[in-house]
Amino acid sequence: MSEWEPKIVSFLCNWCSYGAADLAGVSRMEYPSNIRVIRIPCTGRMSPKFALAALREGADGVWVSG
Amino acid sequence: MGLAKRKSAYVEYAQAVPLKYAIDPDSCIYLKKGKCGACKKFCEADAIDFDQKEEKHTLQVGSVILAPGFKPFDPSRFDNYQYANLPNVVTSMEFERILSASGPTMGHVSRRSKDKAEPKKIAWFQCVGSRDLNKCDNFYCSSVCCMYAIKEAVIAKEHIGEDLDCSVFYMDMRTHGKEFERFYENAKTKHGINFIRSRVHTVNPVPETDDLEIRYVTENGEIVSEIYNMIVLSVGLETSPEIVSLAQKLDVDLTEGNFCKTSSFDPVLTSKEGIYVCGAFQGPKDIPQAVVDASAAAAAAGEKLAAARNSLTKTPEKLVEKNIFGERPRIGVFVCKCGINIAGVVDVPGVAEYAASLPYVDFATDNLYSCSQDTQEVISQIIKEKNLNRVVVAACTPKTHEPLFQETLINAGLNKYLFEMCNIRNQNSWVHKNNPDLATEKAKDLVRMAVSKVALMEPLKEAELEVNQTALIVGGGVAGMAAAQSLSAQGYETHIVEQNSQLGGQALSLFKTAKGEDIQERLSTLNSEINSDDKITVHLNTKLTEVEGFVGNFKTKLSSNGDDQVLEHGVAILATGAAALEPKEYHYGKDSRIITSLELDKKLIEGDPTLKSLNSAVFIQCVGSREPDRQYCSRVCCTHSIDNALELKKRNPEMSVYILYRDIRTYGEREILYRKAREAGVIFIRYTLENKPEVLIDGNNITVKITDHVLGRPIEIGADLLSLASAVIPNKDEALAQFFKVPLNDDGFFVEKHAKLGPSEFATDGVFLCGLAHYPKPIDESIAQGKAAASRAITLLSRQIIFTSGTVAATTQADCSSCGVCISICPYNAPSFLEEGPFAGKAQINSVLCKGCGLCVASCRSGAIRLKGFDNDQIFSQIFSMNEAV
Amino acid sequence: MNLMEHMGIESDRIHFSWISSAESTKFVKVVKEVTEKVKALGPQQHFKKNDAKVA
Repeated sequence: MSEWEPKIVSFLCNWCSYGAADLAGVSRMEYPSNIRVIRIPCTGRMSPKFALAALREGADGVWVSG
Repeated sequence: MGLAKRKSAYVEYAQAVPLKYAIDPDSCIYLKKGKCGACKKFCEADAIDFDQKEEKHTLQVGSVILAPGFKPFDPSRFDNYQYANLPNVVTSMEFERILSASGPTMGHVSRRSKDKAEPKKIAWFQCVGSRDLNKCDNFYCSSVCCMYAIKEAVIAKEHIGEDLDCSVFYMDMRTHGKEFERFYENAKTKHGINFIRSRVHTVNPVPETDDLEIRYVTENGEIVSEIYNMIVLSVGLETSPEIVSLAQKLDVDLTEGNFCKTSSFDPVLTSKEGIYVCGAFQGPKDIPQAVVDASAAAAAAGEKLAAARNSLTKTPEKLVEKNIFGERPRIGVFVCKCGINIAGVVDVPGVAEYAASLPYVDFATDNLYSCSQDTQEVISQIIKEKNLNRVVVAACTPKTHEPLFQETLINAGLNKYLFEMCNIRNQNSWVHKNNPDLATEKAKDLVRMAVSKVALMEPLKEAELEVNQTALIVGGGVAGMAAAQSLSAQGYETHIVEQNSQLGGQALSLFKTAKGEDIQERLSTLNSEINSDDKITVHLNTKLTEVEGFVGNFKTKLSSNGDDQVLEHGVAILATGAAALEPKEYHYGKDSRIITSLELDKKLIEGDPTLKSLNSAVFIQCVGSREPDRQYCSRVCCTHSIDNALELKKRNPEMSVYILYRDIRTYGEREILYRKAREAGVIFIRYTLENKPEVLIDGNNITVKITDHVLGRPIEIGADLLSLASAVIPNKDEALAQFFKVPLNDDGFFVEKHAKLGPSEFATDGVFLCGLAHYPKPIDESIAQGKAAASRAITLLSRQIIFTSGTVAATTQADCSSCGVCISICPYNAPSFLEEGPFAGKAQINSVLCKGCGLCVASCRSGAIRLKGFDNDQIFSQIFSMNEAV
Repeated sequence: MNLMEHMGIESDRIHFSWISSAESTKFVKVVKEVTEKVKALGPQQHFKKNDAKVA
C-alpha cells in the first residue's frame, strides 16, 4: 500500500447508523474502507472507556454514531 | 415516478421487504424482443425465470380487508398551472422524492429544467384537485396536503439553507393533527415560511429562463405578479378508477367523493358484512389515522373469526439445547460468497483460510449462498459433526439475516445467542468495490473481531411469562366502550372502570354525527349491549388508587365509595377522554344566551322550541384553541359548529346565522357540510388572533363586533344566541400517568409510542391508548381508535405466553450503590429497587420490560449492570482484536 | 471532549454524529469527513499501548 491508511473504530447504533450503513451498501454507494464497525444496541450503551480502549489499542480515530 | 431512469432489473425501493430484485416487463429487452438474457447467464443462484406468468389463486377466507390506498391527483389537465409543459412545475409527490436521500437527486434539491439549478424561491399551491368543483369534481378536502406542504417547505429550507424563500398559497390552513399546529407556528415564526391566503390563477414561463411568473390577488384585493424558480402543486388524494370498479365488483357502496361508505359507529365496516376497509380508501387521511384504521379493521375482522383462531397454525418441533458450560470455545466460521456479491470483491476463500488460523476456530469454510435452505442444513450438520459451540457467519447484515442463522443454531441444538454475524457485504464488498485488497483486509479484521467476541458469548435464557387474559379499560366513553366490545367479541374478559355514574363520556352531550346519525339513540343501544355482555364487567363511580406489576401481570386496586377491590389483568387501555373548556372570554356565564357548543347540543337533544324563534345566531370558533398557551387545534369544532348552524337553519330558514372563524377545518368529506352551509345562507366571517371579535351586552341586546374580511370594515351583529366552540381540553391525569408509567405531553394529552406508526399504544408494554385522551377527535375516529387499541392489546393477549429477549440488562446487586440513576434514566421503566431480601434497596431489572438499549449500563457509576450479548468484555474483545495480535 | 483534549487526544480523532437508518447519503458523507480528518492528523501515537511502555 502506497499511502498510510488510518483505522477508525466506529460504534454504530443498531437502529440508526447501522441501518444507514446497510442501506448505503444496498444503494451501492462508495466510501473509504477505514472504518471497523462495532454494532451496539443503542448509543446509550457507549462508554468513554470504549473510546479510550480503542485509542490505546492503536486506533487512529473513534466515531460514535446514533 | 419517471423522475429518473431505472434499469430493467430493479429493486422497487431501498427499504423494500423482501429486498429482492424484479424485472420490469415493459423495458426488459428479453421479454420484449427475445434477445439478451444476460441476467440469467450471470445469476449464479439461477433465480431468473423468464417464463413466470400471472397466476390465479383461490383462497378461502372469512373476512376481507380493503386497503387499496389512493392515487395522487394528476394536475396535467389544469392548463392554468401548465404542469404538463413546464419542467419546474412539479407535484408534491415528485418534490417528496426530490427531497429524499434515496431519490433521483440524492436529496439535493434541484430544478427539473436542464440547468438543474438549486432553486432560491419555491411556491406551494394548495388544494390542487381538492375542494374544487370548477376544474375537477373533487369537492372534498384531502386532509393531508396543508401539513405535507409545510413539512416540505421546512425540509427544503433545511437542505438548501435559511435563504431559500418558501411561500405557501392556501385557502384555509388545515393543521388539525396532533402537534401539527405547533409545527405550523414554528414554520411561520422560526423558519420564516410565508403563508399567503390566495388561490393563484395563472402560471406563465418567464422567457429565456426556466423561471415561472405567477399572478394572484392578495387579501386586500391587489393583483400581484411574482417570479419563482420552482412551483410545487399540492395534489390531493383520490380513489383510482380500478378501485372504483373493484368496489362495484364487491358490491361495496361508495360515497359522493368515491371513498368507501361507512357509518360513524362502525367506521371500518363497508356496506357489505364481512368486508372491512382502512386507510385512504375510507376517506382521505394521514398516516396515524390510517394506522389506527388498519388496527381497527384487523380487530373487526378478528371479531368475526375469533372462533377460528390458531386453527391453521403449526408448531415446529423443539430440539433439546446442548449444555456447553465449561467447554472451551470451538468456533465455526462460515464465510459467504453471496454469489458474486461478496466474492466479486473480497477474496472469500482467503478470508476463510485466515479465519481457520484464529484462536479457538475449529472449522472454517466458505459458502456460495449461506442463506439458502440446503446450506442451512449443511451448517447445522457441520455444527453437530464437529461439535462446534460457537458460530460466526460472515455474510450480509444481521439486521435481516441474524434470525435466520439463529434458527440454524437452534436446529443444531445450540443456544441461539452463541452466534455473531459479521457484515462483509452491505458494509464491505458493496461499498468498496474498487478496492478489493482493502476490502479483503477489512473483512479479515471484521471476522477476527467477531471471532473474539463470539468466544465470550454465553448461552442466554429467554424468560417465559404468562399473560393474564383479562383486560382493564380505564374510561367508559365511546372509545372505551368500542374497545371493550371488540375485546369481548374476541373472547377476552374485560373490565371497564368509569368514574361517573354512567357510561358514555362526552358523547352523552352530543346531538348528531357529521353524517347525521343520532348519537343518543346509538349510545343507548351500546349501553344495553355492554350491560348484557357477560364478558364485560362495568365498574361505575370507580377510580384507580394503586397499580403494580407490568405487561401481562398487572394488579390494580379499584376503589368505589370506600370499597376496594384488586383486579388482576394482563393489559390496560387508557381511554380517559377529555372535557370541554369553560370559556373565560366573550362574557360566557353572564347571559343565558351565551353558551358552548355542547350546551347548544343539549338544547337540540331536548328539542328546545325556542331555537325556532331565534332571529339570529352567531358561532365563534377557536375559543381557547390555537392560542399561545394552548397551541393545538381541537379538530372537531369547525364541523360541529357548521353542523349545528345547519340544524338551526333547518328549524328556521329565515334565521341569520354567522360563523366567525380563523380557518375552516372541515377535513375530508366533512367539506360537504361547509358547502351546504354556504348554500343554506350561513355567513362565514374570518377573524385573526390579533383581531378577535368583541361581545357586548347592552341591556337586552347581545352585539358581536368584528372586522369583515371581505369588506375590511368593522361590522356589528345582533345575536339572539351566541355559541362558543370551546376547546377540547385533556384531563391531564398525572396520577394515572404515574400508575402506568406513561408520559403526558405539554398540553396534557398522553404521548403514544410513535406519532405515526404507534398511535394506539404506549412505549410501555401492555398499555394502550384511545379516544380523546390521545388527541381531540370526532366520534368515528374515537371508535376506530378504541377498536385499534383492542386490536393492539390482542396481539399480546393472544400469545398467552411471551418470551423476553435474551439480550437484556441485569444487575450484580452486590455492586449496586442504590443511586437510582438507572431507574430515572430507563425509558421503559425496567429497573426498580428490590423491596425485600438480603439485597433490599438495591436495583433489579425486569427482563420483561428491558429492551436491551444499554443506557443503564453506561450510566451505572458502580459498574453493577451488565448487558447480556453486548457485555463490556465482549465489546472490549472486539476492540482489542481490531489490530492483529503481535 | 475537553477532557480528551486535556489528555492529549486531538479533537478531530473523536467524532459523534446522528444519522437515521434512511440517511445513507449522510452516512457516506460523514464517513468521508471522519476519515479525512483522522487521516490529516497522521498515525495516533500518543495513547497507544506500546508507546506508553517506552515512555
